[in-house]
Amino acid sequence: MSLFEKFEKTAALYNQLSDAGMNPFTVVMETVLGPTRAVIRGKETVLAGTHNYLGQTFEPKAIAAAKEALDKEGTGTTGSRFANGTFSGHKRLEADLAAFLGMKHCVVFSTGFVANLGAIAGLIDPAEDVILIDADCHACIYDGCQLSGAETIRFRHNDPESLDKRLGRLDPKYKGKLVCIEGMYSMYGDTAPVKEFAEVAHRHGAYLLVDEAHSFGVYGAKGRGVSEADGVMDSIDFYTGTFSKALAAIGGFVASNHKELEYLRFSSRPYKFTASPSPATVASAGAALKVIKETPALKEKLWANTRRLHAALTQFGLRLAAPPAPVISVLIADRETAFAAWNFLLEHGVYVNMAIPPGTPGKDSLLRLAVSSAHTAEDLDRLVAAYGALAQAFPAARVAA
Amino acid sequence: MASVQGDDDLVFHKICSLFEPLNQKGVRLTRETDFIADLEVDSVSVLDVVMDIEDNYDISIPVNTISEIRTIGDLVDAIHSIKKRQA
Repeated sequence: MSLFEKFEKTAALYNQLSDAGMNPFTVVMETVLGPTRAVIRGKETVLAGTHNYLGQTFEPKAIAAAKEALDKEGTGTTGSRFANGTFSGHKRLEADLAAFLGMKHCVVFSTGFVANLGAIAGLIDPAEDVILIDADCHACIYDGCQLSGAETIRFRHNDPESLDKRLGRLDPKYKGKLVCIEGMYSMYGDTAPVKEFAEVAHRHGAYLLVDEAHSFGVYGAKGRGVSEADGVMDSIDFYTGTFSKALAAIGGFVASNHKELEYLRFSSRPYKFTASPSPATVASAGAALKVIKETPALKEKLWANTRRLHAALTQFGLRLAAPPAPVISVLIADRETAFAAWNFLLEHGVYVNMAIPPGTPGKDSLLRLAVSSAHTAEDLDRLVAAYGALAQAFPAARVAA
Repeated sequence: MASVQGDDDLVFHKICSLFEPLNQKGVRLTRETDFIADLEVDSVSVLDVVMDIEDNYDISIPVNTISEIRTIGDLVDAIHSIKKRQA
């Protein structure tokens, strides 16, 4: 059974956690009750690990738009964007996203993961180009690099000087250079110095791709992300994002002012060879985008909730990964303790994400809280109470005295 | 060839010193030591140590190269070949 031998070590941990009824990676939302509530393990639970930043999963306008599209255009496109899977809705959404970002071109993909995969692999020729990525980039950026087949060089996380050095010592043989960073990183909730990165990348004649999956709708005066907050929207060569966070649907996109972005429609295999998002998905994402434009109060509420939770967790002495951001991660050095702490929160009626190395930036495990504008005062009270109890029960989660 | 051998030793010792903090089980480090099988470090930890090596030697080692490296000896050889190319 040599095919399965490699899984044994991971399977042992996975099964042990499952047998103990403590596996964070097998959670089932038994009944979904609303944007911040679901029944898990038979109990009503506050959802604080769903990255539903603007609480739009039950936005009435998005639901109405999805229902209308479902009735008019059916359940699925049964084809890829390249073949029979491009409806007028896909084109409309591309135009709306481009207009929202102030960019000229946009290409919609089937998921956020596929958007990065498709953008990177579609833009890069392994024979003549090179990619430089922030060490903490998401798995889909790593996989996009791998799919492209090009030489890929990591630079230190959020360190423009580290990028500068690596660009400086590149072999002059490379024609195209692509630098990939993210706006807000979803593990720690830390943000990139996009302006400095743009300056370094362009000084070396490199293109800059910024993945704003977690920061779209959340950062910047208009909700265009960390790039907007840093005042450098015009310096971004490729802007990637997802529908599955602030837009509360599923799908992804790449936007750019380079007219050549349109070439992805024939160069990108993840665009050409997978089915396109369903009409209902596209319609709800479009409606949610309109809500973001028309309702800045959502973002303000998200940040108010964020500040309250971050302050409360700081006051409890919990070891937090970053300054206030809609992802608030508690660091716990020991993995077993982190599993116990995660289960403790669930028993106290709170669901957060659990992340363990090597899926995390450092050696610590993370309890990852994702704040939502839809968290009610009562939700916040329950979150604060649960984390207060956690700080008492798990000294290992606190900052060393 | 003596100078190459000497340099080889320096690179080998540098790598050993960088991996020593991750050597939880106190394995004796040789050219044949396998990062994952012997040192039991995960792939990301290897990438992070490689970043220190890059800055130490002022070279860039692509992720593609690192994913093919299994042992300390492989890494020593990769550094030499990149240094030679960049020289």
